[in-house]
Parts: sequence; C-alpha cells; structure tokens
Amino acid sequence: MGLVQRRQYYGLLFVAPAVVFFVIFFLYPIVIGFGLSLTDFTLLKPPVWVGLQNYQDLLNDRLFLKSLNVTIGFVLGSTVPVWVISLAMAVLFFQRFPGRELMKVLFFTPLLPSVVVVSVIWKLLLHPSGILSAVIGPIVGQTPIKWLFDLQLSPIMSVVVHDWHIAPFYMIIWLSGLTAIPPELRDAARVDGANALQSFLRVELPLLKPTAVFVAAISTIRAFQGFSIQFVLSPSQGGPLDVNTTLGIVIWKYGFQFFRMGDAAAISVVLFAFILIFTLFQLRLGRSDDFSLS
Amino acid sequence: MALAKPYESDWAFEARLRRRIRNLILFSLALLISLLFFFPVYLMVSSSFKSEGEIFAIPMHWLPHEFQGLLQYERAFEETRLERWYINSIFIAAVQTVATVFFGALAGYGFAKFRFPGRNVLFLFILSIMTVPFQILVIPMFVLVRQLGWHNTYEGIIMPGLISAFGVFMMRQFAYNIPDELLDAARIDGASEFSIFRRIVLPMLKPAAASLAIITFLFSWNNFLWPLVIAQNRDLVTLPVGLTYFSQSLDREPLWAVSMAVSTMATIPVILLFLFFQRYFIEGMMVSGIKG
Repeated sequence: MGLVQRRQYYGLLFVAPAVVFFVIFFLYPIVIGFGLSLTDFTLLKPPVWVGLQNYQDLLNDRLFLKSLNVTIGFVLGSTVPVWVISLAMAVLFFQRFPGRELMKVLFFTPLLPSVVVVSVIWKLLLHPSGILSAVIGPIVGQTPIKWLFDLQLSPIMSVVVHDWHIAPFYMIIWLSGLTAIPPELRDAARVDGANALQSFLRVELPLLKPTAVFVAAISTIRAFQGFSIQFVLSPSQGGPLDVNTTLGIVIWKYGFQFFRMGDAAAISVVLFAFILIFTLFQLRLGRSDDFSLS
Repeated sequence: MALAKPYESDWAFEARLRRRIRNLILFSLALLISLLFFFPVYLMVSSSFKSEGEIFAIPMHWLPHEFQGLLQYERAFEETRLERWYINSIFIAAVQTVATVFFGALAGYGFAKFRFPGRNVLFLFILSIMTVPFQILVIPMFVLVRQLGWHNTYEGIIMPGLISAFGVFMMRQFAYNIPDELLDAARIDGASEFSIFRRIVLPMLKPAAASLAIITFLFSWNNFLWPLVIAQNRDLVTLPVGLTYFSQSLDREPLWAVSMAVSTMATIPVILLFLFFQRYFIEGMMVSGIKG
C-alpha cells in the first residue's frame, strides 16, 4: 500500500468521533424506538413483548385519533396562510422604497424570541382582560373574549402564533429566491410590454418553483412537529378538551405523564411515517426541478 | 422652456408623481404590516417596565405610566430562579456549540478531503439523520439516557445534542472548497495530518464555523422538549422550561410583568447575536432551513 493511499485512512480517524456518536445517539435509539413500539413498557418493569398490539390499539384510541385530527388541522391551517403572507412580504420588501431596511428589521423581530417566549407573550396578548380582547371584543360584541379557552378559537390562535413567529423566516427564503432571478429576465418582460403583475405571474413565479417546493415541504414537516406553542399557549398542555393536543403532545403525554412508553413509541413511528412522506416529496420534487432548470 | 415643451414636462411630472405615490403606498403598507409584526415584541419589553396593575390597563399604555425601572427584573431574580436558569442555559449552549463546531469541522474535513473505504455509506448515514426530527427520537432517547444513568444530570441534557449531523454536512460543503495544493504543500513540509487540520483547515473554515456556531447556540438556547423531559431536578432547569413553569402556575394568575422581564432577559442574547453578527445570523438560519 502506497503512502498516498495509506494517508486516506486518516479520513476515517477524522470522521470516527462523529460516526461513533451517531451510532450511539441516533441509530441505537431508532432501533430501540421500533422495538419499544412492540412492547408494553412503563419504565418500572422490563418491557413485555406484545407484537403489533399497540398499533392495533391506536385505531380505537380516542386521544390518538383526536390528536391526528388536531395535527392535520394545524398543518393545513398554518401552512397555506404562512406561504401567502411570507411571499407577499418578500415581494413587498423586494421593491425599493424609503425606510425599507428598517421595516425589514421590524418585520424580522418575531423570529428572535424562542418559541416558548413567543407563546408566553401571546398568552398575555390573548388574556381575557388583555389588549386583543379589549380591541376586538367591542367589534364582535362580546367582551371579554376567552381566546384560549374557546374550543373553536383556541386552535386558530395556535396557528396565528405559529405563523406570526415563523413568517419572517420563510420571507427571507422567498426573498433570496427572488434575488436569485436574473434581472435581465424581468427587464426583458418589461420591454415586451408586460406590467408589474404580468411580469410577476409569468416570469418570477415560475422561476420561484424550487423555492416554493422547499418552503411548502419544510413548513409542512415543521407543522407536523407542532409541540411547544400548543404546550405553552394552551391552558392545560394541549387543552381545552384536547383541541390543541398534537401528535407531539400526545407522545409527551403517553410517555411522560402516563408512562406508557410502548404506546408513545408506536405514535412516534406513525409521526415518522407522516414526516417521511413529505421528506420524500421534497427530495423528489426538488430534484426534478433542478433538472428542468439546468 | 417648460411652456415650450409642455408635453415632455407633463410626462416627467406625471412620472415623478406616480413614483411618489407608488413609494407612499409601498411605504405605508410595509409600515403597517411591520408594526403589526413588531407589536408583540414591543409589548414584551414595555410590559417588563410596568407595574403588575398596569399590565391590563385599557386603553393600553404605550409607555409605562408608573415606570418601574429595573424593579421587575430584580423581582424576576427574587421570585424565580432566573440566575440558575440563565447559567444552565448558557453552560449547555456553550458546550454544545463548541463541540458541534469542532467535531463538525473534524468530520466535515474527513468526508471532504479523504477517500477511505465506506466513505459514501457513512456520509449517506449522516445525511439521513437530518431527515429525522427529534420529536420521534424523544422516547427512545429518554430510555437510553436513563440506561446510561444520566437522568437528571448535565450529561443527560447535553449529550444527545453534542454533535449535529447538520454541522457535519455544512462543514463538509465548506471544507470541500479548500485547495488541495495547500494541504499537499503542508504535507511536503512534513506537517502531521492533525496539525494540518489545526493550522490550515480550521482557520479556513472560520466563516462557516461562525454561522454554524450561531445557529447551534440558538438551537440549544431555545431547545424545549428535551430539557423538559430529561431534567426534573430544579437545579437543572433551563430558561425555556423555567419560564414555562413560572407562567403556567395554575393556582394563581402569573406575575405578568415578571414573566415579561424573564422573557426579555431570555431574548437579549439572541438580539445581541442578531445585531452584531447579522450576516452570519441570517446565513446560518437560511442554510439550517435545509434541516427542516
């Protein structure tokens, strides 16, 4: 073996710490996660093998089915508005006008506090004696408004808080997509007599497709993981009456309140399946787009 | 002159007017929406200087009428264990940031510049990790960390986030662009492989390391689910967990001004990072979007 070839083995030395780490803290948990989902395990006694029983039980589990509903509602309810708001804001901030940079910073601020801090701020805003109740209450003729205790309103508020927090992030991604479009294309459309709207619809929007796929996929994947906002914002960790109990919250409840680790692991596997579908969707669509553009 | 060419002058005037109107519309629209987005953050800071009685004043007081100075912040330290939460959060974030950057650079360089058997399989393994969110791992991770005897210890909180697959991936992308000639020249000079990494590779990875350090710090600073489940010991509580417990007390109305003071305190490091490292901050957030 030559010196140059032997040198290549140093690479193994360099990657070894990370690889060993991920075998212990990723591969192994994944394997025991699947294993646990086939057992009854309460942490006190060793796991008892039950086969696919946990999965079968989920089909009749009221809380799990409820959380499936809540999660899908949260995904559908939060993604579409956040795409529209963030794209509209990106197009707005793409224009030149006085004061733009300062306003961009103001618009960006919701991203700075952590999700927990964000939820606590909104708990204050949405307090029955709070400012939003005082401003909107008289308009709808009902004061105080119990935003977070109302079965219909409460999940909508989770969506509002989530979208308010994350919209600036997607705005930046759209903005970088817009910036990447060669200005000559826009100019050419204008010379050909297209107005601003036509140029946006015909030139920019089609070229933004890879960005759109990216934003759509990651916002969906993230919404499926909804946990912290619902946990902190709602009066009782997913309440009232479980209308904010997402899959993430149900995993936490089964695991760390009821200590039913087997059921919690089975729900994790179900959540994994959902997220995997959208990850594959992102990889597939993202790739085919790269080809068509090149 | 203007009378001599009325047509052109009108046209120029009209164009200028249209520009002004367009600017005004864009300006007003952006201002309205930006203020709407900024308002809750403003409310957090302004409420932390109000008295408890003034928090729910209607109509809202834009500025505190009974300005409290830093009283609510002092109360935050007395009523909560803010000092402890702060030290825990900083310690955990610091360890995870340093380790993620160092081991990320180490492994990223290894994947980028060496051809060893199994390289592609191992790199694919790292890539696949990025597609699995932590939520799915929390149950088995808890069981594993308990098996290791790290339940209710700093090791337990820190270890699962010590190295990030995203960090390895990001560093590989940047290490790939380091010129091979530079590395070979050092080898001819007789430098050992590890000293090449330390003296040449690490300094060249600095800009990428800065972005990675910022997003790792933010991720750790904001992390909620894992510290929530793994650390029941009150001495190990981090800022997000402590704030949650404090603002969720069921038996009485939480002290809102104090909650807002804690919230502001928890956000200050992030604001500082944003102000001083805006470029790395936004770059880091953009690339980290990939990890979903």
